[in-house]
Amino acid sequence: MSRALRWGLAAMLALGLLVGALVVLPFSSWLPGGTVADVPTAEVVNGSAFNRLFPAPEAGQELVFTQEKRGFSEAKLKQGSAALALLAISDTATAPEARDKFGGSGSAIQGWPLVEQGGQASALLVADRFQVKVIGQGDGLDPDQRHALLEAFDLKGLSALLPPTTARGRKALPAGQQQPVRLPVVTPQTLEEPAA
Amino acid sequence: MSRTVLERLERLPKRDLTVLALKGIGTLVPGGWHNITSADALIADVMGSSDPELIRQVRARADLLSGARHEGYGRAMSLYDAVNRSQHATGGLRLLSNVGAGIPLLKRMAKLTPASETLQAVDLSLKVGAELLAFTQVNGLPGDSFGDFSASLADYAGDARVRMAALICFDALLPLGDQALHKLDGLLGKASAGDLRRLPSYGLMAGMIPGHGDGAHLNFLRRGVESWAGWAGGLISTLGLTGQKAVRALEGSLGPWAGGMQGLGTFLDAFTDTYSHTGVQAVARRLVERAAAEI
Repeated sequence: MSRALRWGLAAMLALGLLVGALVVLPFSSWLPGGTVADVPTAEVVNGSAFNRLFPAPEAGQELVFTQEKRGFSEAKLKQGSAALALLAISDTATAPEARDKFGGSGSAIQGWPLVEQGGQASALLVADRFQVKVIGQGDGLDPDQRHALLEAFDLKGLSALLPPTTARGRKALPAGQQQPVRLPVVTPQTLEEPAA
Repeated sequence: MSRTVLERLERLPKRDLTVLALKGIGTLVPGGWHNITSADALIADVMGSSDPELIRQVRARADLLSGARHEGYGRAMSLYDAVNRSQHATGGLRLLSNVGAGIPLLKRMAKLTPASETLQAVDLSLKVGAELLAFTQVNGLPGDSFGDFSASLADYAGDARVRMAALICFDALLPLGDQALHKLDGLLGKASAGDLRRLPSYGLMAGMIPGHGDGAHLNFLRRGVESWAGWAGGLISTLGLTGQKAVRALEGSLGPWAGGMQGLGTFLDAFTDTYSHTGVQAVARRLVERAAAEI
């Protein structure tokens, strides 16, 4: 094989690999395991939208934000160097099973269902989408203190956070959550009554 | 498939040289150090409940989170692994140069090993840089302002005071002496891109450090160390840390040490995994705190 032919073959091989990679690149998000529960990140509310909804700390206490990811924001309520509680807001889009426990809820705060998880955690489901949670740390908090903290969140502001799915129009939802697609078929009836 | 964070937590050693060294440093920090290697105990501690069903749910959520590529937990783990490998390598090099100096044939080799102090300073800056990068991978950028972010960083470091004390003792005070923090900036100023490239962990971290090229990376590391040194100086003065104190604390758990301070630092670098050991524990705690809030 001549030298030029070898170089030509190598160049073609490299070019083929490059083109192949470029063709496959847009599908990388289809590979499993990229995001939590394989929910596209655009459908999850970003954690930075939750930060301003956290309760203001009382005198002598301090609220330190500890984590902020897509669909999640968490802060630690501290007194001095001791942690009193973990406060968190999460978007249940990545954890739909977290909504199930609210089915058996017997009490409510501002109309949203409330459940207890073990001895130190209280959770509230706002707008059937956002979970607000208070977990007592260290010596712990009693249920009334936890409920007072839950109520101090800006729950109205939270329920007003529109999920991006509705803002950005129709998107592919996971199986079982799709809505029936209405095709814009023009018939005499639809022309007569457009607002059906 | 790589291991999840909680699996790695449970595979951490319960009693070895690393654990003994950390126990020794733990005696210098109020509250001491507990070697947490049980995921269930960690979850029960965060949730304030030992209900097995709740623990199972938190664990399942934590495993799902640590398996998701976009979430950064895996990247934080590989950062710690990279630093750990580099630490062993530099420790080994310095050990070789110490041993080699005594054997005529190996003397030439000893001369080839890099200038110890600069290399140590670069190694420390890579560790601090890895810590900053791992923090953002695990916790994102918490809060809405720079003030929120630095409060969050300080809180994270406060959670892991023994981890930070170990970093200060093993990688600053022992190898560089008690004036380590004042010397650091000067040493890093002398460091060249070649020194940086000599450390194996740099190759693995380079893609994650902001900026292009070795010069920009070195600059980032220098600024990272600068901000860390302010905080570390505070910890050194509140705990009253010195090289001598660290040696005494380590002798309490490891047994008597006849060599010098630098020798002890080299020995610990070469044979212990303190950085990745406490790193896995710190990441696991944050992961469980998140999973507990999301179930």
